[in-house]
Amino acid sequence: MAVATCSGGIKLRPEHTPMTPSSDEGPARAITILLVEDDAPTRWRLQDALAKAGFDVDAAATLTEARASLAKRVPRVLLTDLQLPDGHGNDLIRETRQRHPDTEIMVISILGDEESVISAITVGATGYLLKDAFPTDIATTVHDLVAGHSPISASIARFIVKRTQASAEPPPGPPLNTTKLTPREIDILWGIAKGFSYAEIASHLGLSRQTVPGHIKSIYRKLEVHTRGEAVFEAVQQGLIKL
Amino acid sequence: VTDQAVKPASSGRSRKSLSWLFQYVLLQALIVIVCIIALRHPLREPPSRYLVTAFNLTDRGTTHAVTLPDFVASRYSTDSPALYTGSFNWSAGEAHGAWAVYLPRFTNGLEIIVNGIEILDSRRDPAANRPDRATPEIAVIPASLLRDGPNDLVIRLYVWGPISGFLDRISVGPDEVLRPYYEQRTLLFVTLPMVFAAWQAILAVILTMMWAMRRHEPAYGALAVAMALGAIQAFSPTALDQVTYPRLNATLVASAPLESGFVVAFAVLFFVRRWPRYASLIFVPGVLLVLVGLFGDTASIRQFFLFLGAPSVGVHLLLLALIVAWSELKRQDVPSLLLGCAVSVVLTCWVHDLLSVLQVIPDHRIFFTRLSYSVLLIAIGAGLTWRFARALNQVDGFAARLVIQVREAEEKLKASFAREEERARAAALARERARLMRDLHDGLGGQLVSIVALSERGETGGGIGDAARAALKDLRLVIDSMDDLGGDLMLALGSWRDRATAQLRPHGITLNWRAATPQGLPVHPELRPWHVIQIVRILDEALTNAVKHAGATHIAVGIDTFADASGFARGSITVEDDGKGFAIAGGGDAIAGGGDAVASDGEKAGRGLRNMRGRAARCGAELELASGAGGTRVRLKLPRCFPDSDAVAG
Repeated sequence: MAVATCSGGIKLRPEHTPMTPSSDEGPARAITILLVEDDAPTRWRLQDALAKAGFDVDAAATLTEARASLAKRVPRVLLTDLQLPDGHGNDLIRETRQRHPDTEIMVISILGDEESVISAITVGATGYLLKDAFPTDIATTVHDLVAGHSPISASIARFIVKRTQASAEPPPGPPLNTTKLTPREIDILWGIAKGFSYAEIASHLGLSRQTVPGHIKSIYRKLEVHTRGEAVFEAVQQGLIKL
Repeated sequence: VTDQAVKPASSGRSRKSLSWLFQYVLLQALIVIVCIIALRHPLREPPSRYLVTAFNLTDRGTTHAVTLPDFVASRYSTDSPALYTGSFNWSAGEAHGAWAVYLPRFTNGLEIIVNGIEILDSRRDPAANRPDRATPEIAVIPASLLRDGPNDLVIRLYVWGPISGFLDRISVGPDEVLRPYYEQRTLLFVTLPMVFAAWQAILAVILTMMWAMRRHEPAYGALAVAMALGAIQAFSPTALDQVTYPRLNATLVASAPLESGFVVAFAVLFFVRRWPRYASLIFVPGVLLVLVGLFGDTASIRQFFLFLGAPSVGVHLLLLALIVAWSELKRQDVPSLLLGCAVSVVLTCWVHDLLSVLQVIPDHRIFFTRLSYSVLLIAIGAGLTWRFARALNQVDGFAARLVIQVREAEEKLKASFAREEERARAAALARERARLMRDLHDGLGGQLVSIVALSERGETGGGIGDAARAALKDLRLVIDSMDDLGGDLMLALGSWRDRATAQLRPHGITLNWRAATPQGLPVHPELRPWHVIQIVRILDEALTNAVKHAGATHIAVGIDTFADASGFARGSITVEDDGKGFAIAGGGDAIAGGGDAVASDGEKAGRGLRNMRGRAARCGAELELASGAGGTRVRLKLPRCFPDSDAVAG
């Protein structure tokens, strides 16, 4: 995958720049990952896939373990499941996002739970990884994220654009503030939802193909709840809807 | 227990109505007593020193002294009057002003002659000719006629049968003394009846209007006729006057039984509300009188009136009293009570008049029936007004009730509509759930069973993984299809593309995605989740065939629209591969895979093709298959409109 070619596109967080790795870097400068997953087979599978791809992986099965690991070493990438035995992955994401803004956060998702992914995005995740993805895809996705390319599926794009449409009653699922999204970003999301490739979207919208991934990450950032008030509101909502 | 409970209730009711009847009868008795007292109460008379009562009566050839009041036998000729000869004293010294002769009551007509000069002929006064009206007369004696000392006073009394002639006590004195007595009687016996006659005429008009507007209530018609007859009667001249149609006039004057008959008819229709079989008999006396009036002579109609008309009026009054009492007992409403009291008054007066005519009770021969009839008229007017007001109140109440009822009905309707909607929604949900279950069973169930079987066999190859991935993919498809796509199939295809890309990547196959336009496919608002599942399964099947059986290395998915025969833009999805293809039998089934494909592969592919066609048919879509050595091309032409029911499902 052409990861390196896109890395210079958009720098949302300039402080990343010195650390921006490339997929063919050696183990000496291996990307550190904290993997939090309670299901042992899944954890082993993901750990194997990532380790084989040259990542430096710490694994944790619970929130407590994850926090202990974070205290010892701040990883470049946090890869966490949401349903954990001693708490919710969103808490970990929120903490990490506040204390270690340089860490890229990915949520481990299973099929069809766009709602979980979106809820993780609102607390600071910028990517997701399917549990059943093929090992090569797992490694590629993490590399892409570190390179500044947030993955987005048609389902997630669909979920977000549907929230941008005015409706009488609030749609089910986590609250999502889409007012910050620009019309162009919404157009991009529509394209993704309909299955168009970045190239097709770029040509339809008269954009450069390279700018599309940057837009995606920008979209994720805009969906994040930032202010204290927003965070409280979000937390209340989260409690109410029981993620 | 029920009997015991009912009995006291019914006995209580009868006791209650009995006590009501008692009260009613008591009230009527009280009215009768008050009436009798009023009737017996003598009218004021002029001072006794002006009374002239001693006369010599010359009648039918004989002369004898009489003292007024005096009766003379009835007769049917107007040219043989009874002659009363008397005198009064007038002294020029004490008299100031004019003197007059005051005659409070007489039947039927008279001439007054003072000192040989006639000063009054009552027969020229139509009101005075009506024996039922106690019309008084007063005549001023011209001063030149009066002589100091005794003056001659001669009265010619004309009598026309059937009732006997009558002359009440005469007063002769100063006009200023006598006139107030005259005026009082005129007011009571002439003006008041006229006022009531006018009132009766107004009632006739009102009731006619009422009946005209409410044809289904003939009671008002009957009462209108009665009122009209009464009014005409009051203004009709008597038989003695010069009239154009004397017979018709006589008939009208004698129409009281007919009038009372109509009043009874009204009461029957109004209170009983049905017409009893023999009720028409009440009109017999009235009709008989009309016939006599039209075809007989004036003498016979007068006789008939006295001997048939007057009693029948009494019978009618009695009937009326009974009907009203019965109605009052049953309904206890205001009109019945008012009418009942009025009837009692009239009936009492009628009895009084009858006795007076028969000279049973000594009195001043004043007939009160006609006058008391005005009480009945007032009762009728009041009753009608009461009924009108109550009807208005009822209309108001009804309108208010109607508003409430309409609101209630509306709410009920709304509730039932909501229930119906809820039921329809529940049914739709159940259908959707059934389809979902079937879809889950078709795909996921089979794959999970396959996983179980493989794992039991101790399979270690990719079989379990493949089956599990297929199961996951299917689960994603089902979950995905449940999402609200707003009729845009492209949104489902977008997710499918993600899954297909992930599925093909390990095989080293790239999925070439070509959408002809940014919009992609036409929007179908009627698109249901099960349509999505069928279409995506067709595409999955095509993909599986290309990967597993045809050994393709490139797969292209094309999305475009085409115009069908009638120019309607329809969507089309094409899946093309560069595999080795397969032979297609007549039925569209692949008999055997091309090249070195094994028979079982061909069978599987064949079954897959059958499935694809079946799924396409369910969605109303057309499936075009072209396969050759260069590859396979599956084209799914979407319908204009997705079918609502799963018609081909089996």
